[in-house]
Amino acid sequence: MKIAVCVKRVPDMDVRFRIAADNASVDEAGLKFDLNDFDAWGVEAALKLRDANAGSEVTVISLGPDVVQETIRKALSMGADKGIQLKADKVPFDGLAIAKALAEELKSGAYDLIFFGKMSPDSANGVVGQMVAELLGLACVSAISSLEIANGKGKAKRELEGAQEIVEFPLPAVLTVDEGLNQARLPSLKGIMAAKKKPLVVKAAQLPQSQLTVRKVELPPERQAGRIVGEGAAAVPELVKLLQTEAKVL
Amino acid sequence: MPNVFAFVETRGGEIRKVGLEAVTAARMLADKLGGGEVHALLMGPSGVAAKAPQIGEHGADLVIVVENAGLANYNPEAATATAADRIKSGGYRAAVFSTTAQGRDLAPRVAARLGVALVTDVLSFDVDGDAIVVKHPMNIGKVIATIAINSQPAIIAMRPNVIAPAKNPKAGRVESAQPAADPAASRVKVVETRQGSGGKLDLAEAPVVVAGGRGLKAAENFKLVEDLAAAFGNAAVGATRAVTDDGWRPHSDQIGQTGRLVSPELYVAVGISGAVQHLAGMRTSRTIVAVNRDKDAPIFKVADYGIVGDVFEVIPALTEAVREAKKHH
Amino acid sequence: MPRELKVLPSAHQAPLPLDKLILTEPPDAEAVPMDVLFVGGGPAGLAGAIALARLVKADNEAGGDLGDIQIGVLEKAGALGEHSLSGAVVNPIAIRALFPELKDGDFPFRAPVAGERVYFMTESRAIRMPTPPTMQNHGYYIGSICEIVRWLGEKAEGLGVNIFTGFPAASLLTEGQRVTGVRTTPSGLSRTGEQGSGYTPPTDITAQITVLAEGTRGTLSQAYMQWQKIASDNPQIFALGVKEVWETLKPLDAVVHTLGWPLPKDCFGGSFMYPLTRNLVALGLVVGLDYKRTTDDVHEMLQRMKLNPLFRDILESGEMVEWGAKTIPEGGYYALPKRRHGDGLMIVGDSAGFVEVASLKGIHYAMQSGMFAARAAFDALKRKDTSAATLREYDTMVDGSFIVEDLRRRRNMRLAFQKSGFYTAGLKAGIMTVTGGALFGGKIESHQDADVAREVKPPTPFTPDGKLTFSKLDAVFKSGNATRDDIPSHLLVGPDITADVAELYTHMCPAGVYERDGERLVVSPANCVDCKATDVIGPRWTPREGGSGPKYRQM
Repeated sequence: MKIAVCVKRVPDMDVRFRIAADNASVDEAGLKFDLNDFDAWGVEAALKLRDANAGSEVTVISLGPDVVQETIRKALSMGADKGIQLKADKVPFDGLAIAKALAEELKSGAYDLIFFGKMSPDSANGVVGQMVAELLGLACVSAISSLEIANGKGKAKRELEGAQEIVEFPLPAVLTVDEGLNQARLPSLKGIMAAKKKPLVVKAAQLPQSQLTVRKVELPPERQAGRIVGEGAAAVPELVKLLQTEAKVL
Repeated sequence: MPNVFAFVETRGGEIRKVGLEAVTAARMLADKLGGGEVHALLMGPSGVAAKAPQIGEHGADLVIVVENAGLANYNPEAATATAADRIKSGGYRAAVFSTTAQGRDLAPRVAARLGVALVTDVLSFDVDGDAIVVKHPMNIGKVIATIAINSQPAIIAMRPNVIAPAKNPKAGRVESAQPAADPAASRVKVVETRQGSGGKLDLAEAPVVVAGGRGLKAAENFKLVEDLAAAFGNAAVGATRAVTDDGWRPHSDQIGQTGRLVSPELYVAVGISGAVQHLAGMRTSRTIVAVNRDKDAPIFKVADYGIVGDVFEVIPALTEAVREAKKHH
Repeated sequence: MPRELKVLPSAHQAPLPLDKLILTEPPDAEAVPMDVLFVGGGPAGLAGAIALARLVKADNEAGGDLGDIQIGVLEKAGALGEHSLSGAVVNPIAIRALFPELKDGDFPFRAPVAGERVYFMTESRAIRMPTPPTMQNHGYYIGSICEIVRWLGEKAEGLGVNIFTGFPAASLLTEGQRVTGVRTTPSGLSRTGEQGSGYTPPTDITAQITVLAEGTRGTLSQAYMQWQKIASDNPQIFALGVKEVWETLKPLDAVVHTLGWPLPKDCFGGSFMYPLTRNLVALGLVVGLDYKRTTDDVHEMLQRMKLNPLFRDILESGEMVEWGAKTIPEGGYYALPKRRHGDGLMIVGDSAGFVEVASLKGIHYAMQSGMFAARAAFDALKRKDTSAATLREYDTMVDGSFIVEDLRRRRNMRLAFQKSGFYTAGLKAGIMTVTGGALFGGKIESHQDADVAREVKPPTPFTPDGKLTFSKLDAVFKSGNATRDDIPSHLLVGPDITADVAELYTHMCPAGVYERDGERLVVSPANCVDCKATDVIGPRWTPREGGSGPKYRQM
């Protein structure tokens, strides 16, 4: 099987972010970056399939400037076989632009499966995998939390709100991966050493013009002080109303 | 005057609350654009046409009804083809979807097919000259971006619960149509939609977390917390360290001893005093509700809304009320 | 006459588990082979790796026959710098020697020291004192050791050094008297020791030369010295430093050191406050672990200290962005191990005790010692002889350098405080400095911190306000510690833990790992920030799963 996994380098979310001087981006000074967790689960899924199907190969692809090579190397340390960097100065916010550049690379790969993470926590749109599938005319199942592949066909589970979908699909297919599918393996020391020798090809990305402009980026308003809504079960209707109308979580 | 398209999400032949939110949003956007029409697409199995009037009541001038036996479950390829076709032929200025599991699957496909950009998880929208400008949370909600959509149609997927469905009756003309692609020919087949969460939602990912503490008095009383979580439908159950140390709940349920970040949309603390051990792990939740019999419990300092009372009275009442509220989703 | 209860920490300490730390079985068949392995990715290990890589590169370019030398750096934190903590005011002598082609402006420092002030504090006042000669920092730079380490890491990677983060060394592999490599810790074990789904077994790494650069109170360094029966004139003693980084609205324009309150008069220590930028301030309190009461609590002392107007004025309406803690070896010259090398092994940096406590300096000694180890390793590789006889060159270089010269000159500073009251000792320290150690320079006997008995005293109640002062749990949250809660305990609790011993541990640990619950001791190992205070006077610290512990960014 030929398997591809598209991966993204994302900042650690466990920090307080600062707005950059241009007010239209997040200040990257001091941020720590790593392979997107969702993409790591995609890499893990690909590696499991490769190991179960002799003669298979996993290629990892990432769009962006040279620093993304670190992220590709991490996937290679986990066990992926080859890496491709689609070189671009910046990763655009517009998912369609990214999808077009990736599709351009993927279309000649004759991949049986292409994995994406369901979303990346920074831009948080969760669209690229589905768009690539559409551009390549491939079957696509998004946000899978379980997966079985056999005889050129697949079966996956998707979490809905308070329900689940069981989906069947043929190969070749694009799959986007959600939490719960697996636990990504940690790179072993041997894996880290071996990754240094695996091929990592750099190509120019064919990035089209973006159709979205990020005009401004700002911190959300400060948390307001809370209040006691009432006492006992009698306060429940008021609470529910507030959750619906004010907090908008119900 | 520019028209706006809305995709009305359904499940099991019923319109979901987010579907009406999408129509309401489309109506608001159409009005901002000058008062054009809202055309809504309703897809489902036979009988779904009977739901069309609701859509008109919420501001749709036209409801395109596509009924087909093959649409009993979500059919990604038929939905994509149908929505994309209608949006293209209709020359809409904008199209509104919902950021649900289904919407996240559908909207990007439609956008890609039309060659236009998409912003999901939209918090609000506005019109600024030629551009439609939206707000969208980034970096797990720690940052809010304002984005101008330069393509037409501008495709957006609304975050659930930010636009309340509003009655605003319009013509609601019904047009029957066929799916633009045969549902039976779809490569991707949804073979089953199972109600109820089969797998446990992970604490770190669940949009709602209901957590219980010592105030529940005994392990078997945790059923109150489980019932409330079940009423929400998309909630994970958590516990304080005191409770997991005592063996009432497994350690995997424990929230925040050493900064393990749990950041749901809604956090409900049941019988939790709010000792620092716990707060450190859930403080960044978007909305915090606390129920405790002690009005001086520290948890009330971080909670957005609190009820002082006996959890054994309040929680069952809250569970019932949540079940009622969710019925219309 | 009321009987005074005392707790003797050493009576309750578990011994070092030598059988687990020193392994005699042959390495695993799948062992990863390195030529030189640095255990620890701090300034000492990284400077050593860089220096060695450069020496090898120059030699190969000049036609030498070393060929491809694999240099590895093992770091227990998930990323370089995450377990590094210091003040810091850095003497640039070593980094300049390591990078002679760079200028001071190229180094990862924040700012040169512009002004300095020393104060004697009482609870409500701060009285300006003349700056003692030991604390003069003109010509030095304020910096964050995290930033320095990350910068060194990039340089090392650029030179082809293999940096393995998230891989703690759990044991030394040995053959006879020779160290042949290390074995890393496993990961993915549950609290009860079972293998979870993410289980990764230990990895063996073999090396011709292993350089222990573990930092303060290094576990393998202690094990090696105990195994090899390496003595020192005095036992090593330690101080605990608790540190915070604050974003402030009021600017700070000078390097500040204080003595006096809130330290009890019989406690050695003092505080520091340094401007990283005008509005980013690093401050901390350093207290000797030979304190005299079971309930002396360094974290709480730091919190109280911030209420003094000297600190309060700067910090008020600012925000604490990071918190951390680490011990500092304070024994100085007489506590240096007699031998810091062996067959296939060298010990560098804090693990060897190269810290000068009076001036709070250790980073440049760490780097310089790493560079000496690199030189010795290079010579050993060239001669194809990595035995102790050849590696002795390392000790010779260190002994003849400013490292030992500086430590010798200040050899009794700290120990004077163990023996005399604070003011007498201060006077003696002053005289020592002025006379270059000629007066009061005879070796003062000292005892291990764990052998200092502590009086049982009730704790002073302390209620943090959550704005200027913080509880230990709030503080640990700010260390970036996100260790999984069900991690197995890495702490070896000793015998006979009474309520008073539990109380001692509760106050000793700045991160709230230990809590006294009635008569028993409750241990929350996930809180641990690897400061090592516990290893000095409490339960023994052992290496645990990689990536555990704090995630310091600007400490």
